[in-house]
Amino acid sequence: MDISNYIYLSAILFVIGAIGVVVRRNAIVVFMCVELMLNAANLAFVTFSRINGDLGGQIASFFTMVVAACEVVVGLAIIVTMYRSRRSASVDDASLLQR
Amino acid sequence: MFTSPILDYSLLAPILIILAGALIGVGVEAFARKEQRAPLQLGIALVSVVASFVQLLRVRNVRSLKAAIDSVAFDGATVFMQGSILVLAFFALLLIADRGNFVAQASAIPGSQDEHSSIAEGKSQTEVFPLTLFAISGMMLFAAATDLITLFVALEVLSLPLYLMAGLSRRRRLLSQEAALKYFLLGAYSSAFFLFGGAFLYGYSGSLSLTGIATAIDVNSGNDVFLLIGIVFLMVGLLFKIGAVPFHSWTPDVYQGAPTPITGFMAACTKIAALGAMLRIFYVALSADVVMWRPIVTVISIITMLVGAIAALSQRDVKRTLAFSSIAHAGFLLTGIIALNQSGLKASLFYLVAYGFATIGAFAVVTLVRDSAGEVSDMNRWVGLGKKSPLIAGAFCLFLLSFGGIPLTSGFIAKFSIFTAAYESGNTTVVVFGVLTSAIALFFYLRVIVMLFFTEPKSDAVTVSVPSLKVKLVLAASVIVTIVLGVYPSLLLNSAQSFASFLR
Amino acid sequence: MNPYIPILVIGAIGFGFAAFSVGVAAITGPKRYNRAKSEAYECGIQPSPQAAGGGRFPVKYFLTAMLFIVFDIEIVFLYPWAVTFDKLGLFGLVEMVIFILTVFVAYAYVWRRGGLEWD
Repeated sequence: MDISNYIYLSAILFVIGAIGVVVRRNAIVVFMCVELMLNAANLAFVTFSRINGDLGGQIASFFTMVVAACEVVVGLAIIVTMYRSRRSASVDDASLLQR
Repeated sequence: MFTSPILDYSLLAPILIILAGALIGVGVEAFARKEQRAPLQLGIALVSVVASFVQLLRVRNVRSLKAAIDSVAFDGATVFMQGSILVLAFFALLLIADRGNFVAQASAIPGSQDEHSSIAEGKSQTEVFPLTLFAISGMMLFAAATDLITLFVALEVLSLPLYLMAGLSRRRRLLSQEAALKYFLLGAYSSAFFLFGGAFLYGYSGSLSLTGIATAIDVNSGNDVFLLIGIVFLMVGLLFKIGAVPFHSWTPDVYQGAPTPITGFMAACTKIAALGAMLRIFYVALSADVVMWRPIVTVISIITMLVGAIAALSQRDVKRTLAFSSIAHAGFLLTGIIALNQSGLKASLFYLVAYGFATIGAFAVVTLVRDSAGEVSDMNRWVGLGKKSPLIAGAFCLFLLSFGGIPLTSGFIAKFSIFTAAYESGNTTVVVFGVLTSAIALFFYLRVIVMLFFTEPKSDAVTVSVPSLKVKLVLAASVIVTIVLGVYPSLLLNSAQSFASFLR
Repeated sequence: MNPYIPILVIGAIGFGFAAFSVGVAAITGPKRYNRAKSEAYECGIQPSPQAAGGGRFPVKYFLTAMLFIVFDIEIVFLYPWAVTFDKLGLFGLVEMVIFILTVFVAYAYVWRRGGLEWD
C-alpha cells in the first residue's frame, strides 16, 4: 500500500476535527474534536518519520501525546467548573461576554 | 552512532531557575500552613525571577546554538526577549500579589454557601504564583526554541497555566469562567493547527529544527504543497497567540473576563513570547521563502490594524478597549516581521518592551478604579475621573498617549522605528496603512482623555482606591519607562541594536 | 548467544510465575461464596441499570481518572530512556531522577491537598 495514503487519512481526520469544533455545541464534544486534530497531527508526524527515515517524528508524537493528556486535564477541569455553576456544558450558553 | 547529549546548564539556567521556583511553590502549597502560603509564595516567585534575571545578565554575551543539543538557541534576541519577559513578569507578579483579585476557592460554585464560607474564613488562592512561574518559563522557552517539538511544548507550557488563571477572578465569577472556557477551547484549537503545520514542515524538510527547514527550502528538496500547508497552519497557531485578525475573537472576551492583573501579565508577556517565536520562525526558518508568505502577512497586518483601531472606537468597557488596542498593536508588530531585516528585529524588540510597560501600567490603573462591588470597567462611569484623582488618571492618559504613538512617549519611538524598518525593506503599503490607522486610533485615545479630564463627573461616579505600595511601584515603573524611553530612546535602542540577531 | 534466548527465558519465567500464583491461590486460598462475589465487576461501581444519583457519575470518579491519566502518561518518557539506558549512562540516570522528582512534587501536592481521598 502506498504510504502517502496515511497523509490523506491524517488530513481527513484533521478536517473532521476542525469542522467539528466549529459546528458542535457541547463543550466536551468540541474538545474531543480538538483531540482528534491533535491525533491527526500525530499520525502525520509518524508517517513523515517513516517516509523521511528520521526518528524525530516519532519522538514528536510522544510529546504530543503527553501534552494532549495535560490539555485534557486542564480542559475538563475548566468545563466541569463551568458545568457546576451553570448546569450546562453548551458553548452557546456561555454568552455573557458577547455584548 | 548514538552519543550522549550535552546540555549547557549555565545557558539554560534562567529557565531552570524559574521552573525550580515553580516546583518549590507547588511544594509550599502541599506542605506549608494556610496563613504562611501567600507571603512565602510571593517571596519565592520574586526571588526566582530576580535570580533568573541575574543569571541571564551573567551569560548575556555568550552565543550558542547548542544550549540543549539543537533545541534552544542562546543568541542576542533570546537574551533580550527573556530579559524583558522577566522584567515585565516581575511587575505583573507585584500586581497579582495585590489584595483581593482572586477567587478564594476556584471549585466553589458561584453564589453558593461554599463560596461564602470560604470567603468568610479568609481563604485565598495562592496557586496563582506557581502557575505564573510555569507560564513565565514557557514564555522564555518559546522565545528561544529552535525546533518544532520544543516550540510546541513551550507553547503549551505557557498556555495551560494561562487558561486556568483566566478563570480565577474573585468578582464576576461566571464571566471569568466563561473567559477561561473560551480561551481554552480556542487556544487548544489553534495549538492543533500549529502542530499540524509543524508536522507538514517536518514532512517537507525531514528535519524538526528551524535551520534544517531553512536548508530544505534553500535547496528546494521537498514537496511544495507540504511547505505551503506547513507555513499557513503554523502561522494560524502563532497569529492566534498574538491576537491578529481574523484569529482575534477571543482577545476582548478573555481580556474582559480574566482577573485584571492576569490580563496585564498576559497582554505584555505573552505578546513578547509569541512574537519572539514568530520572528525566529520567519527570520530563521522561512526567510528564503519570503515571496510566499510576505503577501499573506501584509494583508493580515493591515486588516489587524484596521479592525483593532476601528472596533476600539465602539467599545464601552475599558478592558475590552484595551483588548482591541492590543489587537491593533499586534498588527503594528507584524510589520516588523514583514520588514525581515536587522532594523525590523531591533524595532520589534524595542516595541515589545515599550508596549509591555504601557500595558501593565494601564491594567494597574484599571485595578484601582472601584465601587462597592469591586472593579468598575464600564467606560461611562470613568467620566470625570481626572478631576477626582488627577495623578492616576494622568498616568492612564500617558499610557494611552504611548499606545497612540504621541512624540515624547515610548510608543512614538517604537512605531517610528518599526515603520522605518518596513519602509527600508520596500514595503510601503503596510507603512501607509500603519500611519493611517495610528491616526484613527489616536482620535479614539484623545476622546477617552477628553472624557476623563474635561467632562463633569456623574453622580454614581466611582472611587479610585488608594494604591498599595506594590501597585505604586508598578505604576511608577511604567510611567518612568514610558517617559524615559520617549525622551532618551537610545538607552534601550542601542542595546536592542546590539542584541538584535538570530543565530542560524 | 542468540538474542531470542533471553526473551524466551523471560517468557518462561513470566508464564511460570502466573501459573504458580494461580495454582497456589487455588490450593491455599479460602473458598467463601457470597452475593457480592458472583456479581459482575464494574470498576468498583454498583452494577445497576442506572448510575447512582439519576444517571450521572459522582465527580470524584472524574477527579481520580484525571489524576490517573496525568501520572500514567509520564511513563511514556521512560521508554526512550529504557532503550538507550546503557549508552546514556550516568547523565541519563541523573536526568531521569530529576524528572521523576518533579512528578513526585506534583504527587505530593495532590496527596496533601486531599486529591486522593475518596470521601
